[in-house]
Amino acid sequence: MTVCNFFLQGRCRYGDKCWNEHPRGGRGGDFRGNQQPSRGGYGNRVWINPSQRSGGDYVQQSSFSRDGNNDWSRGGGGGGGGGTPRDVKSSDFSFSSQNRFSALTSHTPSEKDAQSSTDDVDTIQKDMEVWQTSGQWPFSCYSVLPGKLSGFVEVSPEELRLEYYSGRASGDLQAYMSSVQQLADQWRSRVQELRSMSSSTRISVISELNNPSLQTSTPGSGFGSTASGFGATSSSSSSSSTGFGAAGFGQGSQSSSTFSFAPSKTGFGAASSTQHASGVVSGVLAQPSSGFGCAPAASASSFSFSEPQASSVSVSVSSFSFRPSPGESSASAVLQSGSSGVFGADTALFSTHTDLTAEELKEFTSKRFTLGQIPLKPPPADLLVL
Amino acid sequence: MSLFGTNTGFGSGGTGVFGNTTTDSHNPMKDVEVTSPPDDSISCLAFSPPTMPGNFLIGGSWANDVRCWEVQDNGQTVPKAQQMHTGPVLDVCWSDDGSKVFTASCDKTAKMWDLNSNQTIQIAQHEGPIRTIHWIKAPNYSCVMTGSWDKTLKFWDTRSPNPMMSLQMPERCYCADVVYPMAVVATAERGLIVYQLENQPSEFRRIESPLKHQHRCVAIFKDKQSKPTGFALGSIEGRVAIHYINPPNPAKDNFTFKCHRSNGTNTATPQDIYAVNAISFHPVHGTLATVGSDGRFSFWDKDARTKLKTSEQLDQPITACCFNNNGNIFAYASSYDWSKGHEYYNPQKKNYIFLRNAAEELKPRNKKW
Repeated sequence: MTVCNFFLQGRCRYGDKCWNEHPRGGRGGDFRGNQQPSRGGYGNRVWINPSQRSGGDYVQQSSFSRDGNNDWSRGGGGGGGGGTPRDVKSSDFSFSSQNRFSALTSHTPSEKDAQSSTDDVDTIQKDMEVWQTSGQWPFSCYSVLPGKLSGFVEVSPEELRLEYYSGRASGDLQAYMSSVQQLADQWRSRVQELRSMSSSTRISVISELNNPSLQTSTPGSGFGSTASGFGATSSSSSSSSTGFGAAGFGQGSQSSSTFSFAPSKTGFGAASSTQHASGVVSGVLAQPSSGFGCAPAASASSFSFSEPQASSVSVSVSSFSFRPSPGESSASAVLQSGSSGVFGADTALFSTHTDLTAEELKEFTSKRFTLGQIPLKPPPADLLVL
Repeated sequence: MSLFGTNTGFGSGGTGVFGNTTTDSHNPMKDVEVTSPPDDSISCLAFSPPTMPGNFLIGGSWANDVRCWEVQDNGQTVPKAQQMHTGPVLDVCWSDDGSKVFTASCDKTAKMWDLNSNQTIQIAQHEGPIRTIHWIKAPNYSCVMTGSWDKTLKFWDTRSPNPMMSLQMPERCYCADVVYPMAVVATAERGLIVYQLENQPSEFRRIESPLKHQHRCVAIFKDKQSKPTGFALGSIEGRVAIHYINPPNPAKDNFTFKCHRSNGTNTATPQDIYAVNAISFHPVHGTLATVGSDGRFSFWDKDARTKLKTSEQLDQPITACCFNNNGNIFAYASSYDWSKGHEYYNPQKKNYIFLRNAAEELKPRNKKW
């Protein structure tokens, strides 16, 4: 059989019905070119010429997208927020542009420059919007290549359901309810925060994405090593970025059983939403690994807002208590310096008393930081509470 | 306040569907209903292998039981037997000779059910609920593979109380599939690991997940020589990724597609996005079926990259599906999957398993190979 020339160009009107041969290799290569003329969908060649349609089924437009990766860097149909319409209306079709596909071949790390970072941020915002409105399962991790965003707790529906059943069997559903409520609130605020993307969020997100080595996107590295299901989950979503934080947080609990939804677990408060900084904090902690006296425990405690060793019962989950522990303050200091070199604040770890203004000193000496007045400089060494 | 927002409900809208006098949308596809379905949500379905005559269907449920039905050629289903666990059953599988059924449960144990004697014995123990169970039949060994939320993957010779092997995973096991010599496990935090099972199971590769959200289900597909060559991975975000292990051209061969979303005909109204609860490949045609929280099932041809069919919407999510060994029967279970939390859980609502003739609808589109 002769090879169909139109097919090779991606323009064959007869599709399956064509008398000529459609070699499969040629088809794949010209998939991209097929888009505009077909106006109909990615896979249905038969779609093109209505007279050749044999059955009603063919009308269904496939919603296949060429490459998942592509969606992420372009953000056009990123979260699937209605980007690819299902019906025939060709006017609704928006192939954002042919560049969508050109990125396919050049999807290398070198692409990740400032330009694509902002694309990523846009993607994130769109995805958050979709996530909020679509009613999809909220307790899921989320990522944009190559990094994974912190602040999301991963719970599967089965795990949640099992908690409910256990609570029902033991007669105490209240614990389950309040845990779900906390999770839900945490998710909502994190999604809202990412959607509205204030400048500090943006910075932390970009640094998270640009430092995939700190993320667990490199498969298998640094997933939370604690076995206990739930309390560790939220910490592992943040400690997963550290890679070693989990060890500290585990508090030796080896029970790898199901979640314990006991509200006393500080897990929720830890990954509390506006602490997106934790993602960056972990970045800070990972780098100067020799910097802090008690490295793992400190970093872990910075997430849990509790005593490093105690499994504290009385931590109020929703409150914002910053402990002026070494890991945190310098980390937050570094974060809020706002520079892209997040780690590039002081080279000296601690400042002297004379370096600090009166207000900063007051902050450091007080029990809790006041929001909005958190010092940008690291604390003096003698004020460290270990 | 409901966390899950203002979704359009299922079928006739919302929870109180039963009691509708006009159209009862629990079986809009008019498929055969399996008699005596379980009393709580069905978590898994499995048909008997070709080595035994007839079709037997096993279903595990959240009511802690595993039931067995015989499916006769005229479509009638006859309940045959039932076994119990002390916790909800999350996964079931058959041995290759069809004489034993393995069941995995939230009670951290897995049991082997000998159908001839109707006895069960415990064959596995984990530290956490066991989420997946598969039978591996290799030329030089046979074992049961269990994946658990305790982040381990264990391999059991059914005669011994200790595992033959235990592999550590980065996170909790969410779903797995085995087609010798390949096994794929998808874990929490978007983990994805491929194992090779020749000689003894070992980790082959960790893959960067092609999906952005939580993994929900995975199924291996084979190439035309019946060798496993890749897998389909579904997430909670209404998306399935088709991933080849060693494709000639990864950028072109691997792709994702969106499914189980409400019909957003224009970009103005936001789509409802539903989780993909299960994926099954047709054993003969190689086409795949996906079932979702929206209460629909869809058939797809991954080579032609087209959708073959989408069902009508059932009034409950579809939680499990499977094909029988020759691909003539497609079974799917309609029950609540907890996708909207406990508020939408109605213990009184009846759960169903439907059987559908799958011989015709799953034929691939592309006739040119």
